[in-house]
Amino acid sequence: MLKVEINRTLPGFKLEAAFSVDGEVLGILGPSGSGKTMTLNCIAGLIRPDRGFIQLNDRVLFDVSQKINLPSRDRNIGFVFQNYALFPHLTVSENIAYGIRHHSRLEVSDRVQTSIENMGLDGLQNRFPQQLSAGQQQRVAVARALAPEPEILLLDEPFSALDSLTKEQLEMQILELRQFYKGHIILVTHDLAEAYRLSSRIAVYDAGKIIQCDRKEKLISSPANQKVARITGFRNLLPGTIDEVNDSNISIAVPGLGTLKAVRYKHSRLTSGMSVTIGINPEYVKIDDHPGENTLNGTLSRIVEEIRGFRCFFQLDDAQGNAYQLDAILSKSDKDIIPTLGNNVYIHLSSEHLVVITH
Amino acid sequence: MNEYLSPLWISLKTVLVTTVITFVLGIAAARWISRYSGKLKPIIDGAFILPLVLPPTVVGFGLLLLMGKHGWIGEFLALFNTTIVFSWPATVITATVMAFPLMYMTTRGAFEQVDTNIEDAARTLGASEWRVLYSVTLPMAWPGVVAGAILSFARSLGEFGATLMLAGNIPGKTTTIPVAIYFAIQDGNMKEAIYLMIIVLCIALASLTALAYLKKPKPRYRGLTVNPIPSDVLYTSRKKDNPS
Repeated sequence: MLKVEINRTLPGFKLEAAFSVDGEVLGILGPSGSGKTMTLNCIAGLIRPDRGFIQLNDRVLFDVSQKINLPSRDRNIGFVFQNYALFPHLTVSENIAYGIRHHSRLEVSDRVQTSIENMGLDGLQNRFPQQLSAGQQQRVAVARALAPEPEILLLDEPFSALDSLTKEQLEMQILELRQFYKGHIILVTHDLAEAYRLSSRIAVYDAGKIIQCDRKEKLISSPANQKVARITGFRNLLPGTIDEVNDSNISIAVPGLGTLKAVRYKHSRLTSGMSVTIGINPEYVKIDDHPGENTLNGTLSRIVEEIRGFRCFFQLDDAQGNAYQLDAILSKSDKDIIPTLGNNVYIHLSSEHLVVITH
Repeated sequence: MNEYLSPLWISLKTVLVTTVITFVLGIAAARWISRYSGKLKPIIDGAFILPLVLPPTVVGFGLLLLMGKHGWIGEFLALFNTTIVFSWPATVITATVMAFPLMYMTTRGAFEQVDTNIEDAARTLGASEWRVLYSVTLPMAWPGVVAGAILSFARSLGEFGATLMLAGNIPGKTTTIPVAIYFAIQDGNMKEAIYLMIIVLCIALASLTALAYLKKPKPRYRGLTVNPIPSDVLYTSRKKDNPS
C-alpha cells in the first residue's frame, strides 16, 4: 500500500494531495499544470515536499516530522517519464539492465531477456533508442522501469506523444502488465477515457488539489462538484432546486424552463429545497417531436458534423433572459429529425442519465 | 639543439599536466555549479570565469602576490622550505588558472544541455550521484567536454604573460616555448624563434586533429550505425550478419 499525504507551496501554486493506492491502478486525471507530475516527482523523491509523509508498503520514504527523506535511488520505484528519458548512448538491452543491481552477469542477462519477451521487444536488443519508433521507445521505458522489480510503477502521461493506433496497442499492453507485475500502479493522464479504461480508481486534480478520488464508476455516476462534472464529460450543466424526493425519483425545478425528474440513487443525501446542478452527457440529449415528461423547449443554434454523428447546440431561454446551452451528440441516422437552424425543438433528457450535483 | 628541445620538453610537460588537472577540476566545478542553486551562484560562476576576462599580467601579478614570500600560500609553503615562484610547478599553476575557465564554461554548458529527466531516470533506477555522472551525464555531454579539453589545452600551450610573471625565464627550468620565442626575438635570434614557431604549429595541429577524433559520439557500434535507418533495412542487414 502506498500512502501519500503531501504539501508543497510554490509562488502562485499550492499542491495538497492525500491518497492511497493498494495493489491497483490509480488514475490521476486533471488539466496540465494541476500538479499531477509534481505528485509523481514527490513520490519518486525527485522533488522534496514541504510537509507530509509518503509511505510505501512498510517503508517510510518521506516524513517531515521524523526527518526522513530517502533519496530516489533507495526508494525502489519504477518511473516512466513522459518523454521516456531513455539513455541515448545505451542499447535497448543496456537500458533495461541499467537498474538491475547486485546480481551476477548471467542473472542480469536472464532478467533482461525475460522483460524483452514480456514487452514484445525481441530483435531490438542491440538497437539504440533513436533507432526505435515512439511506441517501441515507450515499451523499452516500461521494461526498464520494471526490470529492478519496483514496488510501485509511476506512469507520467505515457501515451501523450503517440498516434491513436499505437496508443490503443500500448494501452492493451499496460492492461496485460498486470499478469506479471503485481505492484501498485499510478497513471497520470489528462484523458478521461484513457484513465477509465486503465485504472480502477481515479483521483481528479484541479489547481493542486484532489477534488474527488473515487472508484471510476462512482466518479462518472456522481461527480462531487461542477469541476469534476466538467472534467468527466458533463458538458451540459443546468441550475435547479429540488422540489420533491421520493423512493425512486427526484424532481428538480429548473427556473424558467420546467421540471426534470432524475432517478434517485441509493445513499444520496438529497432533500427538497436544496439548490443543485443537473448534469447530462451530450450522448443522452435527444430530440423529441412532442412535449412530455423531462422535455425542455429550445432552439437549435449550431450544428457541427462529426465522423460518427452530428453535434448540435441548443439554446434554452428562461423567463429572466438567461440563456443556457445544451450540447447533444446525435447519430447519423437521426439526420431526418434534426430541425433547421433557429427552429424550435423539444429536447428530451432521459431521467436515468441525469446526474444531480450538490456543489 | 638543446635550446630548442628544452623549451619543447618543458612546454609539453606543462601542457599535459595542466590539461589533466583542468579536465578533472573543470568537470568537478561544472557538475557542482550546475546542481547548486544557492544565492551565491552568480558570484561563484563569475569567479570561475574571471581569469579569462582579466589581462594575463594581472592574473600573474595576483598569483605572485599570493604565492610570493609574503603571500598566504607563499608563507605556508615556506614552512616546508618550498617556494613556488620561479619553479617549474609555477608554469603548471599559471597555465591551469588561465585554462580552467574555458574547460569549466564549455563543460557546464554541455552538462546543462543534458535532459534532467534522463539523469532522474538513472536515479530512480538506483544510481548514485557518482554513477549518474560517469554513466549518463559525461557520456551524453562528451562532445562538449572534449571541446573544453581542446580549448584548455590550446590555452595552456599559448600561455605567456602570467607564466612570465610567476615562473620567469629560467632556461632549462621554466622557459616554455612562448617565453623562449619572445626572448629569442629580443636577442635578435630569428633562427631559433622560427624553429620554435614551427614546432608549436606542428604540436597544435597534431593535437587538435587527435582530439577531434575523440570528440565523435561515444556509442559502441556493434555493427550498427548510430544514425536512424529505416527499420526494415536495418533488421534484414542485421540478420545477414548473424545467421544464427
